[in-house]
Amino acid sequence: MLILQDLTKTYRTRAGEVKALDGVSLQIDQGAFAAVCGPSGSGKTTLLMMIAAMLRPSGGMVRFEDRDVYEMTGPARARFRAEKIGFVFQMFHLVPYLTVLENVLLAAAVVRKRDGRAQAQELLQRLGLQHRLGHRPSELSAGEKQRTAIARALLNQPKLILADEPTGNLDPENARCVLRHLQDFQRDGGTVIVATHGPAAQEFATRTISLREGRLA
Amino acid sequence: MYILRMIFKELWHRKINFLLAVLAVTTAVAFLVAFFTASQASERETARLMLSMGYNLHIIAKDADIGGFLMTGIPDKTMPEAYLQKLAAQNSISYNHLLALLEGKTQYRGMDILLTGLAPEVCPPGQQKQAMTFSVAPGTAYVGYRLAEGLAIHKGDIIDLGGRKLKVERCLAESGGLDDMRLQCSLQDAQAILGLPGRISAIQAVDCLCFEKGDPVAMLRKEIGSILPEAQVFQVKALASARAKQRQMIRNIFAVMLPFVITACGVWIGVLAIMNVRDRKPEIGLLRALGYNTANVMLLFLGKALLVGLLGAAAGFLLGTELGLQFGPGVFEITAKTMLRPELSLFVRACILAPLFAVVASFIPTIIAVTYDPATTLREE
Repeated sequence: MLILQDLTKTYRTRAGEVKALDGVSLQIDQGAFAAVCGPSGSGKTTLLMMIAAMLRPSGGMVRFEDRDVYEMTGPARARFRAEKIGFVFQMFHLVPYLTVLENVLLAAAVVRKRDGRAQAQELLQRLGLQHRLGHRPSELSAGEKQRTAIARALLNQPKLILADEPTGNLDPENARCVLRHLQDFQRDGGTVIVATHGPAAQEFATRTISLREGRLA
Repeated sequence: MYILRMIFKELWHRKINFLLAVLAVTTAVAFLVAFFTASQASERETARLMLSMGYNLHIIAKDADIGGFLMTGIPDKTMPEAYLQKLAAQNSISYNHLLALLEGKTQYRGMDILLTGLAPEVCPPGQQKQAMTFSVAPGTAYVGYRLAEGLAIHKGDIIDLGGRKLKVERCLAESGGLDDMRLQCSLQDAQAILGLPGRISAIQAVDCLCFEKGDPVAMLRKEIGSILPEAQVFQVKALASARAKQRQMIRNIFAVMLPFVITACGVWIGVLAIMNVRDRKPEIGLLRALGYNTANVMLLFLGKALLVGLLGAAAGFLLGTELGLQFGPGVFEITAKTMLRPELSLFVRACILAPLFAVVASFIPTIIAVTYDPATTLREE
């Protein structure tokens, strides 16, 4: 389903070139729950952004369902992200002036999903947020914010969810709750890739990928 | 549709930023509206003053004695009445309010009088304006104050002058000048009384060269000379220059203030837009991650600018009109407040130009927003 071939990313800084990723090759099958582990600065987020078609590699290739994502045009990549990928971030990235329901519907608006509202309400109910539909992010707990982000990631029924440190700002109980929801998605046939430097995600993972200084360890 | 909803929600969420941006547009629009409202009133008053002061352009026969004309105000030679139609038929000319008259001294019941025959005022094509002076119907007369007093003439009396009977329509108030000895009638009546059929002694007009550079008299002489080679032109400079001076003053103030106000308000909106874009970096990154394209993100920011412009236009029009009405008389030395009125045409212009202005001022920040790298933006958090 997802093939990364000799992925390299080099950043130019004043101090010289920094290699964030250095020749990473791997294959992740559909239905996998992969935990990308490694210390800060090991290249986890860079790897996720490249898989998400948001960061062009300096070298190598990202193939998703037999298509090289960086051979697509800009608008096609945006469409690809909207339809195939769901995102969950450590900082939740909820729009502060929209309600919980509106935040989830942000994902539906871009693909013009017809029954988006009903599906969003159903998802939020499943995630235990039915009483929070009209609330703003500032009125939610950290766990509720992350569950809202998961609902947003799930709404367009993506093939792949990319989660960058999704439990980084959560207490252990909420962290397990979030990971369980991601596991539910995986058990329904979806693919999950979680970047983490904590041990919690590894308990749920069907596969662990370790990164050290931009290389597979 | 969703973008529009987001624009409104964001405006409400960041009220201060929004209100400050609206205030910037309001300030620019209010300045322009107040200025135009007051300057239009000033122009109207100038026109009214000019009306009361009379015509500033005199066209007389080429062979008329200039010295005599300057001393008496009456040319000693006449010219064909057809000159009036010839002048009035011209397009794109620098004068208006054409009035043909025939003047001559005569006697009535042993008293010297100045007989003035007036043709109805005409305007060149496409420049129709309200007449600056009254017209006298054939068979009627307006009698100057001294004549009426000295000869005991009253309204409704019949005057027999050179075999022509004229009914007194009005006896005029005292002017303290030559008008007190004037008997005004229609041009046809004057031509018959003075025995000068088809002739006029002068054409009076108002010139419109206030903004032109160079010597306006020379320009008028050149322009009119090409149409009427058998005529000469005199401009009453005191009237013309007072009018030109006032208009030029308005123009100068406007020319200095306008770029300053527009630039200041444009920078103000631009800075606010940049602050807004910086505040919303994570939001922009998220939208790009979710698949929103460049056009969607641009619409989010330029749509907001459009709304800011529209609201600023409405508020600025109301504020500017009020300021113009309140302070215009002081700034522009307008004595007749009846000349001041809201300029509704400015509202339409403001509603078109202010949103455009806000969009232009927000354009660079919008470009910054769409060029943010979503990967970097999302990672920064």
